[in-house]
Amino acid sequence: MDGVRVGNRVIGAQSPVTIGWENIPKVQGGPIKRFVFTWFQPTMLFGLLAFWYYAPNSIATASTAIGIGIGFRVLLFALEWVNPRYESWRLTWKEMVVDLFYVGLGYTILRIVDNYIGSDVMVKAIQGHFHWDSFKWFTGLPLLLQAFLIAFIFDFGQYWMHRGMHNWYPLWLPHSVHHYITQLNVNKGAVGNPVELFLIGLGLGGFFDFVPRAFLLAGAFGMAIGAYQHINVRFDSPRWWRFLFNTTEHHSLHHSQDFEATRSNYSGSFIFIDRMFGTCIDGEAELLGMEGGRRMSIPEQMTYPFTEAWKTLKEKFGRGSAVVPAE
Amino acid sequence: MHDAVPALPSRAGRAPLSEGFRVDLRLIDWIWHIRGSLALAPGQSSDDAFDRLDPLFGQTGTGHDRAGDTLTFQKKDPGAQDKLSVFDRGVLRIERDAAGPVLRYHLVSRILLFCFVAPLLFLAFAQLTITLAKFQKPSTEATATSGKTAGAAPKKPGDKAAVKAADVPMNPIDKFLGAPAPEKPKKDGESKPGRRNKKPSATPAYVFAAFFAILYIIGRILEDRLVRRLFEKKLAGS
Repeated sequence: MDGVRVGNRVIGAQSPVTIGWENIPKVQGGPIKRFVFTWFQPTMLFGLLAFWYYAPNSIATASTAIGIGIGFRVLLFALEWVNPRYESWRLTWKEMVVDLFYVGLGYTILRIVDNYIGSDVMVKAIQGHFHWDSFKWFTGLPLLLQAFLIAFIFDFGQYWMHRGMHNWYPLWLPHSVHHYITQLNVNKGAVGNPVELFLIGLGLGGFFDFVPRAFLLAGAFGMAIGAYQHINVRFDSPRWWRFLFNTTEHHSLHHSQDFEATRSNYSGSFIFIDRMFGTCIDGEAELLGMEGGRRMSIPEQMTYPFTEAWKTLKEKFGRGSAVVPAE
Repeated sequence: MHDAVPALPSRAGRAPLSEGFRVDLRLIDWIWHIRGSLALAPGQSSDDAFDRLDPLFGQTGTGHDRAGDTLTFQKKDPGAQDKLSVFDRGVLRIERDAAGPVLRYHLVSRILLFCFVAPLLFLAFAQLTITLAKFQKPSTEATATSGKTAGAAPKKPGDKAAVKAADVPMNPIDKFLGAPAPEKPKKDGESKPGRRNKKPSATPAYVFAAFFAILYIIGRILEDRLVRRLFEKKLAGS
């Protein structure tokens, strides 16, 4: 396999990938279907922004956001059935059980951990040391600008955290489990070792909850853009959308079986952050996963970072690993 | 019918279970074991039937062994789209009775067992949430009470964290576009919006326990039917 040269890198030398928007297949079907799958993403984004912008205070609450989030996921499930990107990524009962197990962990035990030793504690501690007066300049900005800045700062942090995970072995170990997924579906973003899910939950978002509306608007950015990272739906996203935002195409390259391709498209929502730092590759991949697409079981997903770390430590510091017979 | 279904060979390195325990296990192993039988075409040989089923066992991570009328298989890390990925091992046996040849199968699925047990795990998380909240409550109340008795001074306008969003005037652009004005700051002690001020609730754990209970019922019925239909299709040569 020759691969394709993108800048200084050769992408797709180990596993097939498609590079360049012009080479990516289009939505098949009649004009209505093509219209829907072209404008669905922008309509949802602007619709959600308008909702959170104008909703009365009694409706603009965190619980409404949770309700909308669940409803949106159900809608995306339906889209996967109607217009899958790849037949080889069809959701099966087993995949659904595994995905929902991790979603469930995120809503239960990880939330408890977060509450007692995680980001919630950190946020409260740091909030106590800040003079909120110094944030008045921020809360006086137009709401949409506040929301964009919150989403951008959060995504900027996530970009570097994610890039760090791909470049520093101790962080790669917990993240690697997520790269053993072999297909993309709506809930695949939740699949990973709990240590990573805990680490990735340590975000900046919580600092801004004293401005609920801007925070909820920022959440709309995350939901209406980030939700498409792991999804099996073929969209004809408008050109400007693909330039600004992370798409399922970008993220499938990031999950490709090709090593070089995985070292790209790190951002969660705003792919222009990758463009800023030269890590963006426009394209897509069907064959996903580590070790040629070996699918991990749940017990291995839970233990892999620890067993691998142990193996590495033993190799490095263990006795007898480099015994050379005396002459 | 189940009596005629082939028994699984004991796994290597494990001592066979005592007969008494095995009988007890049979009462509950339907949870993760799927058994069934299919009538073959009259005169169809074992070799012909297994040749037709053979592609199913040529998948990544699948090992299988044919010995006469019996086929055994095991799977490790099967692919997501492997049609038998739900099963970890199984036995297929062709038997002949008066009505003609019959394929009997006995398949074992750890993911079915996992899904069956998952509601219990989430109920445990719910219990943990409730227990931790109980531990936390007295200390919070104690702090509040001690604060009152000690005659804690009311917060001054300049206190840290006392300045809320509502103290900040709305941006003229938002006023012009008609966004609702932020709420007035709530009095101390009242709950504020945002999840940071909420204790973890046990509700999500109950919801997921119910999800997995429903998913188990669906999976136990669906996978039983799917595997039967799959064998039927393959044996029919499609």
